[in-house]
Amino acid sequence: MTAVEKKTSRTLLLVLLLPGLLALGISFVAPMLWLLRASFSTSALGGGDGWTLDKYSEILTDPFYWRVAGNTLNYGVTVAIFAVILSYPIALFLARSTSKYRGILTALAIAPLLTSSVVRTYGWMVILGDRGVINSTLQWLTLTDAPLRLSNNQLGATIAMIEILMPYAILAMLSGFGRLNSQLEEAATMLGANRFKVFTRIILPLSLPGVITAALLVFVLAISGFITPRLMGGGRVFVLGTEVFQEATVTLNWPLAAALAVMLLVLFSSVIVVYRRALRALEA
Amino acid sequence: MSNKHVTVEKLVKTYPGSSVPSVDHVDFDLEKGEMLALLGPSGCGKTTILRMVAGLITPTSGHIWLNGQDMAQIPVHKRNMGMVFQSYALFPHMSVAENVAFGLEMRGVPRAERADRVERALDLVKLAGYGSRRITQLSGGQQQRCAIARSLVIEPNLLLLDEPLSNLDAKLRDEMRDEIRSIQNRTGVTAIFVTHDQDEALSMADRLAVMSAGKIEQIGTPRQIFDYPATEFVANFIGAGNFFTGRPTGARTAEVEGLGSITIGQDIPADHDARLLVRPHRFTLGAQGPNSFSGTVTHLVYRGETLTLDVEVGARTLKVDLPTHAGALPERGQTVTLSVSPEDITLIGAQQ
Amino acid sequence: MVKTSPLAAFAWRALITLLYIFLLAPIIIVFVVSFDTRKYLAFPPESWSFGSYIAVLQNEAFISAFWRSLGLGTIVGIGAVAIGTLLSMALTRHKFRGEGAVNFLVIAPFIVPNIVLAVGLVLVLAAFKLLDSYIGIVIAHLGVTIPYTVRTVTMSLMSVDRRVEEAALVHGASPLQVFWRVTLPLIRPGIIAGGVIAFLISFDETTISLFIVSVKTSTLPTEIYRYLEYSTDPQIAALSVVLILISVAVVVVVEKLIGLRKAV
Repeated sequence: MTAVEKKTSRTLLLVLLLPGLLALGISFVAPMLWLLRASFSTSALGGGDGWTLDKYSEILTDPFYWRVAGNTLNYGVTVAIFAVILSYPIALFLARSTSKYRGILTALAIAPLLTSSVVRTYGWMVILGDRGVINSTLQWLTLTDAPLRLSNNQLGATIAMIEILMPYAILAMLSGFGRLNSQLEEAATMLGANRFKVFTRIILPLSLPGVITAALLVFVLAISGFITPRLMGGGRVFVLGTEVFQEATVTLNWPLAAALAVMLLVLFSSVIVVYRRALRALEA
Repeated sequence: MSNKHVTVEKLVKTYPGSSVPSVDHVDFDLEKGEMLALLGPSGCGKTTILRMVAGLITPTSGHIWLNGQDMAQIPVHKRNMGMVFQSYALFPHMSVAENVAFGLEMRGVPRAERADRVERALDLVKLAGYGSRRITQLSGGQQQRCAIARSLVIEPNLLLLDEPLSNLDAKLRDEMRDEIRSIQNRTGVTAIFVTHDQDEALSMADRLAVMSAGKIEQIGTPRQIFDYPATEFVANFIGAGNFFTGRPTGARTAEVEGLGSITIGQDIPADHDARLLVRPHRFTLGAQGPNSFSGTVTHLVYRGETLTLDVEVGARTLKVDLPTHAGALPERGQTVTLSVSPEDITLIGAQQ
Repeated sequence: MVKTSPLAAFAWRALITLLYIFLLAPIIIVFVVSFDTRKYLAFPPESWSFGSYIAVLQNEAFISAFWRSLGLGTIVGIGAVAIGTLLSMALTRHKFRGEGAVNFLVIAPFIVPNIVLAVGLVLVLAAFKLLDSYIGIVIAHLGVTIPYTVRTVTMSLMSVDRRVEEAALVHGASPLQVFWRVTLPLIRPGIIAGGVIAFLISFDETTISLFIVSVKTSTLPTEIYRYLEYSTDPQIAALSVVLILISVAVVVVVEKLIGLRKAV
């Protein structure tokens, strides 16, 4: 390569990379760095040249935040377990389906992702509200007198979150179900396995990686959520997400918000690390 | 009721939405220990028949009998048949030994006996010592042996093989062909295998059924099929050939346009034109016997052991395979004389 | 396939159907409720009419939020896909030092929760006095959309046969012409898919937007959220339906034009 060609190559590379690096720099790198910096900051706006662990100690010594953390984990685990249980049949059905509607049904299962979570949360408010679908139907069937408290509490926030995250679980499972194919089931059946044995010995073990990935995905999305917990929780549900939002936009205690966000990130990352270890152990 | 080991009677499969059956009134039977090949082009229905015997597809009508028992009422997992799938269908999350043991596990065979039988099965397929390997660590040929071991360890009534050699490369194919045949002979298991490769069918099967469009065109030993094809389709499908139409002129003679009078080794029905076939390697150089023609070599391909020639005789081009030898060979443009003995001319549809 | 008893098959179908209903319930309900005109949240709807829709169309705040979302979405869509294409070309077609770092940078936004990024964005935008501006929103949305556009364009790019580009070069095209006349048309599916995805993400984006928008610059989803904090007027259902229909329409139109499935 001549000197001229090499130089052109470098200018070209610059042209190709610069816009992207600039954009991602401002919209991702800078915020992440600033976030880290702000969590140690002494000034209310997150800048300044003071360094302190005040915010972190504030969080770690306040029993309120411990409860919030516990509640967040609890929320994440519950949502993950149920979302996976409810999504598994659909994912299994779609992965093994040979009907011509398979494409449409798959699109239908994933389509909810096209809508904003606000919209779907609103739908749940209507369904679970005191005068919503479920309560109205139950009262109309005279099965209950007073409305069941399904909304404005942890229960409502959980149910709504489960449904909202199900498409993610389905997607994760579908891509993880790669090793399943009908010939394996046929081979097992020919060797004498009945339907139950085929499921427990072949289908379940082979779909496990997909299930674990889905559980992880739902868990991390659930612990980072705040829109659904806030709207469905009626102000009674406290998770890390709602607290971060509260501190950042209402109380305007940015260093605290930053510290909380960093802790959320740490929680998030450690879960992913554990997941990768578990997956590696499973493969071996 | 016949006393054959396996009988397939008037088997039909028509898929909904289709006006033409995929399998159209197929009959055949098998003696114990016999290996039958279902041979035909893709789409002829051979795999559908295999899957119906396995129970994976329900026939539209017809019967499948095994040891005198009608299989219709028996679900797949109770038929005690072994099946080797085209893609082997080995369980990826189990080791070799676990794969092979699976059928025994389903039958409640106790652990010690299982281990013993698995070991013997692996010995049989020359995979001794591979028990603890993962499936992903096996080569294609080894995976196939594992699949065979898995289906034989359960001592099945019937062994079904779906295009067993098509996923292997040429060299492995020859090796496995001999092995599968030898294993089947040694264990004495009755077997049906499906293939589109005539070499496989001719070399492995006791009998073969040539199929086309859902029907069996002819069923017989490899020799019978090759030398006495019942229909033009069979003659064309198995081996290459030169086809002629002959107007009968005598008990064993016919007039072929452009070639003159042909004498064959069997009686020709006098009431219609005969379809005759001469395989390319049945020609010899030189003028001998009643069937001799002269022609010009228009094309030749040297293949080491064989010389493939196109010889123009009149308006016709004959395809000829000659063995090569160290001396002079025919060349392009040369005039040659070819002969074929009457016994080597096949009458299509003749009774043997 | 293996036969099952009719009862088991029926039970399985029934289970799947119920699960699908659960999955789609909120969207269905939103549609139904949008035809109610009462001022409070209740079910079933009493009166069926387009009253809520009309009210929505007359609501200044909603309408301006709608146009803002549409405009921002379009800008983000185009911007993200343009930047993404350039990045993709660099990563796929060239080798350079720091390639690993750039690759990581492109994937990183996928693994950071939006809410964490949101706090950081608040801090950065505040420092540059961009909190109350459209530029701020565009910047914020670019961060979460560029990884997607890079991905779709890369997938398209990798399926382009290099030899076609080489043939163009051999026949006299300059590298720029090769890109413009050969490569670009061939990666059109990836570009369109990327642009659409970026648009949809921006259009529906709520989490980050809630941190950085003000009343003046509110987007449609944030407008809906704010409204929901105080009331559950079915008007919001009508507005939500609009949101849903636009998203679906965009996908359907693009699918018809280029067959989205090929590019994703």
